[in-house]
Amino acid sequence: MPLEKKGQPMGKYKYDVVIVGGGPAGLSAGIKLVEKGFKTLLIERGRFCGAKNLFGGIIYTSSIKEIVPEFPEVDNFPAERPVTEEGYFFISKDGVVKILHTKRDPKESYTALRAKFDAFLSDYAIKKGLDIAVKTRVLDLIWEANKVCGVIVDRPTSLEDKTPASIEAKVVVLAEGVNRVLTERAGLVDRTVEPSEVVLAVKEVLQLPKGEMEARLGLGENRGLAIELMGEVTLGLPGTGFLYTNKNTLSFGVGIFLNKLMDLNLKPYEILERAKALSYLRELFNGAETLEYGAHLIPEWGIKAFPKLFGNGVLVVGDAAGLVNPLFREGTNLAIYSGLMASEAIKFAFEKGDFTEKALKRYEELFKESYIYKDMLMIKDLKAILLSNSQLFQVYPELMYQICHLYFSAQGRAKRDVIREILAIIRRKRGLLGLVRDFLKLGRILW
Amino acid sequence: MLNILVSIKQVPDTTNIRINPDTGTLIREGVPSIINPYDIVALSLAYQLKLRFKAKVTVITMGPPQAKNALKEAVEFGADRIILLCDRKFAGADTLATSYTLAEAIRFLQREELFDLFLFGKQAIDGDTAQVGPGVANRLGIPVITYVVKIENLDPIHRKIVVHRKTEKGIEVLEAPFPILLTCEKDLSPLPFVPLENILKAQRAEPETFNAEGPLSFQRDKLGLKGSPTQVKKVYTPELKRIGKIYNLDDVSLDDVVSKILDVLRERDLL
Ligand SMILES: Cc1cc2nc3c(=O)[nH]c(=O)nc-3n(C[C@H](O)[C@H](O)[C@H](O)COP(=O)(O)OP(=O)(O)OC[C@H]3O[C@@H](n4cnc5c(N)ncnc54)[C@H](O)[C@@H]3O)c2cc1C
Repeated sequence: MPLEKKGQPMGKYKYDVVIVGGGPAGLSAGIKLVEKGFKTLLIERGRFCGAKNLFGGIIYTSSIKEIVPEFPEVDNFPAERPVTEEGYFFISKDGVVKILHTKRDPKESYTALRAKFDAFLSDYAIKKGLDIAVKTRVLDLIWEANKVCGVIVDRPTSLEDKTPASIEAKVVVLAEGVNRVLTERAGLVDRTVEPSEVVLAVKEVLQLPKGEMEARLGLGENRGLAIELMGEVTLGLPGTGFLYTNKNTLSFGVGIFLNKLMDLNLKPYEILERAKALSYLRELFNGAETLEYGAHLIPEWGIKAFPKLFGNGVLVVGDAAGLVNPLFREGTNLAIYSGLMASEAIKFAFEKGDFTEKALKRYEELFKESYIYKDMLMIKDLKAILLSNSQLFQVYPELMYQICHLYFSAQGRAKRDVIREILAIIRRKRGLLGLVRDFLKLGRILW
Repeated sequence: MLNILVSIKQVPDTTNIRINPDTGTLIREGVPSIINPYDIVALSLAYQLKLRFKAKVTVITMGPPQAKNALKEAVEFGADRIILLCDRKFAGADTLATSYTLAEAIRFLQREELFDLFLFGKQAIDGDTAQVGPGVANRLGIPVITYVVKIENLDPIHRKIVVHRKTEKGIEVLEAPFPILLTCEKDLSPLPFVPLENILKAQRAEPETFNAEGPLSFQRDKLGLKGSPTQVKKVYTPELKRIGKIYNLDDVSLDDVVSKILDVLRERDLL
């Protein structure tokens, strides 16, 4: 395959691989590619990797070890606290029901902040030999015949040459995140994203007076909480909230399907403000100062609406492909694994000397062999079920609170009466049949 | 060739800064570091001059190890040489000790090559003293023009510059021969959109590091905390006192309110 466009001088910038986007997907692909000896450039529009991104979030040691084998024993440790307790808070107007699990191995996962975590990965990648151009946006793909063979960025080429820089590459990896503009341009998907396919997550980093976070959540030193919040926090809409403890701050946020928010004409900050007014959260956040605020989309179109993962000279990884598992809160690690698989496929293509679909299909094959594919198949109907069964978010958290309330404050009464009352509430709220039906629906996903 | 020295400082992004009310100290945690905005102007000016004339740009900073990132960013603005003054013994310096340390380092660099133009920000946003630029000029024995808002003319052949300087009364137009130290106001130079080449170069740039032991020698008692007569006694946020009175239009008529306001203004001789 000739690299330069015929009749045109060869560009100033020439790489084996160009990666668009410096999130976990792009960075892990980059680290693996330079390890395999490929000259690779990653382009990130943010001030630094991680600057444009916010997430909850939990990071998982097993996936990080794939790219940084010495993790978590690293300098400038990029995470906040080990996750020692994990679980669900079912929040209703009057209170909360907590299901908490203490973890056996605290080194399994950590809470983290993206600005730090991505910056750590990018430092690591640069040391390994990855070229990273920050503050630079990829505007478009360069095509030769019907093969992608590079990108054009917004910055001028050099002091002397003011034309937008073009960078040649044998393969372009699209790790551009949920806003998958270039994936569309690459022809890997033929339509833009629908509001019903994405969750809008709104997040704050909150700081409590010194020692208060630990006291209110019963945290010791070097112990951390990762909680999913269900129920009233999403105003009973399909979605969840989350609460993670950082070193000295709390990450708190709510994610709701975008179409539902649009139907109700709700502004992102209104959701958080309403959630923070709920009794349990109001007490928890009393006196807190908001240090950071942001909103971001989570791609939940699911495997049925996946873009094609490969094309001539191009692969798509991470969020841009839709690789998140909302049920198990996996996003960063799927991004990382997809970056690894992309690097393997690219190595295969170089061995074959073929950068067309034919060789790059290897990426899809690897994907189909992975656990991620099985998981994505398993949850393929999740979105549809969640969107059409709002009772799951409205009725149950409230129900759980009422049941627990009756059960735990049943002194001085005949217990049979209490149990009868509980059953009556269930019947009124959902009906026993409805209850069974709901469990079957969810069960069908999991089994 | 024009030989330019730019001095910069890494500062906490004060748009995010908060003060711990209990201890009165700055909460630095989670506050991103940036190059002092006025120093960005100095770097931008150096970049523009480099585009117009043949110029070499040396950038210097004193700070902790992570100040290295500010110097890397300076390479995006076309810095040819970057120097980090970094040592525990430099820490805790006030403007006196800072200008001593910077001036000594510059003097050392000038043994190799003389600078024509010294560019400093007008002040750092975390201290707002505006003393370091003039302090360095004084120690080096070169003239200084502060608060420069415009370069009217730069003549590399006759080695002189004409600049506009902002004062409280208006604009002064000054001509000066090289060498000259300028402190930059914010409108002096627009922020350039630098080429990809510079971005890539910056990523792998590593500064030369000078410490208290070398390559030049310092007088120990003039460095850092020891060399700083200024001691910070207390930092606090001044309390906002509202003395305004609020009338609710549900309770008082608009006419009433207007006449009340007029009364107050007359009482105070403001009308
Ligand atoms: C609120 C929230 C909480 C989350 N919590 C978790 C969690 O707890 N655990 C978990 O595993 N996952 C979590 N996720 C999901 C996880 O953050 C994502 O799945 C993951 O970041 C995807 O990585 P990525 O590299 O594919 O995309 P991104 O991280 O989105 O990175 C894409 C990058 O590409 C850059 N870019 C885009 N277009 C261009 C262009 N044209 N030119 C140059 N650069 C470009 C962007 O600036 C961005 O930095 C959460 C997400 C959100 C929003």
